[in-house]
Amino acid sequence: MNEQAINLGNARHKKARLGKKIGKRGFYLLVLITILCGSLATYILFIGGKNFAALLSAPAIIGFMLASWWKRDLSVLEPHNKSITDRLSYDVLSNLPISINDNKQLFQALSNNWQSDFILGHLTISDEAVLPALDNSPEALAKTWTVASQIADQNHSESIEVGFIIASLLMQSSAVKEMIVKSGNKAEDIQDIVNWLARSLDTKKNNKKYYGGIGRDWANGWTPLLNKLGQNISLSIEKYGANYGWLTDSEGVKAVESAFDNNAKAVALIGPDGIGKSSSVKALAQKLIEGKSTPNLAYHQIIGISAMDITSNAQHPGELEALIVNLVNEASKAGHIMLFIDDAQTFFSDQPGAIDASQILLKVIESGQVPIILAMSDSDFQRLRTKSQNLSNLITPVKLQELDQVGVMRVLEDIALGTEINKKLLITFSAIRAIYQLSDRFDQDMAYPGKAIKLLEESVPHAQNSMMTKETIEQTIEQISGVKVSKVAPEESGALLNMEDAIHKRMINQSHAVSVVSNALRRARAGVSNPNKPMGSFLFLGPTGVGKTELAKSIAAIYFGDESAMIRLDMSEYQQPDDVKRLLATGENESSSLLLNIRKKPYTVVLLDEIEKAHPNILNLLLQLLDEGRLTDESGKAASFKDSIIITTSNAGAQEIRERIEKGENIEDFANQFTDNLINAGSFKPELLNRFDEIVLFRPLNPDELKQVVGLMLEEVNKTLSNKNIKISLTDAAITQIVKEGNDPRLGARPMRRALQRAVENSVAQKILSGAIKEGDSVTLDVADLASE
Amino acid sequence: MLISSFFIWWYGDGWKQVVKSIKIRTMSISASFSVNSLIRTWFAPWKRIISYTGDGFDDKIKASLDNLFSRAVGFVVRSIVLLAALVTIIFVAVLSLIEIIVWPLLPALVPVSIILGIIL
Repeated sequence: MNEQAINLGNARHKKARLGKKIGKRGFYLLVLITILCGSLATYILFIGGKNFAALLSAPAIIGFMLASWWKRDLSVLEPHNKSITDRLSYDVLSNLPISINDNKQLFQALSNNWQSDFILGHLTISDEAVLPALDNSPEALAKTWTVASQIADQNHSESIEVGFIIASLLMQSSAVKEMIVKSGNKAEDIQDIVNWLARSLDTKKNNKKYYGGIGRDWANGWTPLLNKLGQNISLSIEKYGANYGWLTDSEGVKAVESAFDNNAKAVALIGPDGIGKSSSVKALAQKLIEGKSTPNLAYHQIIGISAMDITSNAQHPGELEALIVNLVNEASKAGHIMLFIDDAQTFFSDQPGAIDASQILLKVIESGQVPIILAMSDSDFQRLRTKSQNLSNLITPVKLQELDQVGVMRVLEDIALGTEINKKLLITFSAIRAIYQLSDRFDQDMAYPGKAIKLLEESVPHAQNSMMTKETIEQTIEQISGVKVSKVAPEESGALLNMEDAIHKRMINQSHAVSVVSNALRRARAGVSNPNKPMGSFLFLGPTGVGKTELAKSIAAIYFGDESAMIRLDMSEYQQPDDVKRLLATGENESSSLLLNIRKKPYTVVLLDEIEKAHPNILNLLLQLLDEGRLTDESGKAASFKDSIIITTSNAGAQEIRERIEKGENIEDFANQFTDNLINAGSFKPELLNRFDEIVLFRPLNPDELKQVVGLMLEEVNKTLSNKNIKISLTDAAITQIVKEGNDPRLGARPMRRALQRAVENSVAQKILSGAIKEGDSVTLDVADLASE
Repeated sequence: MLISSFFIWWYGDGWKQVVKSIKIRTMSISASFSVNSLIRTWFAPWKRIISYTGDGFDDKIKASLDNLFSRAVGFVVRSIVLLAALVTIIFVAVLSLIEIIVWPLLPALVPVSIILGIIL
């Protein structure tokens, strides 16, 4: 790299320093001297004092000349040529001493500037911490100037700004980079932040806008109906300002302009929610109202009308047609108007009670009186195609593409800047990146950048001490969606490490199954597992009543904090090919829809019972779910399962497990062979079994374990009786008796609860009513005390 | 050095900026008064208020008169605004012209006024 030295102390540098000394106060003082002396000189001249008038005009002229110099030259200092010295901005030069010997001196000179605060603040590092860590070697200073000039070139800036030099200083020091990484950022973030700064400087320079002047609207007609039913997007931008700079030159906006410029009658902006359909229309409105479009379209106003409002204003199709025609006629007569219908699908909805307005829309668009922009999803446009080929042929479709990471980050940065000013807070760069990375976990229904913007807006009230950090974003997501995204706290860490013990407080044995599941949960929470798949996926195999469902419930209770954090579907109810639709239904009251349930509750256990009974089409869907961690509904909207644990259960091969265990075989020894047998028997396809994280075999419980189950069930009974301060215990003989009555090799521990209810609860109830057991008693029941059938 | 910088700017870039400002000011006034738009629609009906002709002769005459009136109103309002814009542009242009002429003389006027103040 060919480093260039700079030549401080030249005329430009001296002018900048003088400009700073004069400052705004000096400028206003000079203006005041000019006005006062000039006015006084004129007055004295009129009353005949020629000599005093002449003397007073001298300071007036000097004041005017110096004020002009400051305003037009000293405080501006346009860059002169390509040399680094002549490209340094006023802010840089005015803060630099006559000579700079090293990087530390340079940093100290510039660190009080707002651009320095912008970069260091967003990186959450302080200037006091940066100063000692800077590279202060003799050759480093020359490199600082060179890199700063390169940053200016990259950002198409003629002048080298303070921020570019600060960024250059940070980039050169490995110690500073380490500091940046420790503060939760990446070393490359310096480049992104300086680009962000450059964009905001550019916006500041080009903030003067003309909206067509006082006579603009005199060429247009009155629009009383549109004023009543519509929203003038253009006038609201003119009145309140707008920041759609990033979108005004987007492909989508250009495509709409080009279509209307080529006499298209209607354009449909197509894409999912959040992709920027409405924002693109607003960006177009901004472009048109500033007269920056082609002459055909310049100064057109865009008026948004809500299809929902219009249809609700009309009682029957005749009235609706009249209303739409009146609106379009009014827009056409007024001239220079484009109509924007955001919820256009309402006009051709198949919902019961909805009015089909596709024929009215066809007439209106066919007439070509007014350019119309429609916004709809891809599936709505497909539905329109099926419903009315003629109408869809009249509409030019413009499919919006989801922004990539760079695009979304730019959008977030621009919005963050506005939010910082309006809400008087600092949004750190790590928070902005977290918004991008985590918004997928926050809202699964929307596309980028919409979901990221929504998360940013939702996070603002959670900001503390005027700072919005990565932790703020994580807390927002945890509070709103329940999904755990923050670092594992010590208390939670302990719970995770001792998960097996916690589970065993609720279920007996099945140690292998408990251990496998606990490990999967620890991997997921520690961020070691694949983030693009469910947190864990298991196939629980074994006879009925051995604890498969109980383990799922335990996970919900211990890991997700609530036993009800579970979506449970009995797959024996999904045996027909059409049941796929039921599983993927999106209607509001579809309780049997897996998609609807997961969207409502993304952080959950999904328990699919008796999976072997589901239709093969559903098992194919399961392949996608396990592979990609998501399922897609009919309209193409994806639902994420990445924050859920998928547990499927099956009784397939239960008899074989029972027989082998009875023969004394160890379950771990025959697990692989058992799985092969299931594949050979056609119970499961190998591609499905291969996709589970673990296939867990549950063995039947032996009499000793069943006794422990009775113990657990008795604890539940005691919990219920604790409000009466009564405690029940059983003798060993009584427990053996209950196990004998409740044990059924086909149903495992399931009949045990009935047996306990019959023998213990009935007996206790009778004793309480007869007064044999009173409040505060501790009672031990023997075989004789147990109630008989 | 700073004094020479001042004079270099005053008779160089400073003077150029004064000349350039005539164009900027004129364009700004023209945009604020919507001159282009008003000229393009000078004879157009006021707020696009027009009557549609019926079948009868009387209706046609009435509609024509209404439309003529609407155009006349539009013409008068726009003419007034265009005239105001013209006057403003001329006024600002004259002031700017004076500024261009006086600009190079101002540094010399300082010693002149002091001398005049003493000798008068």
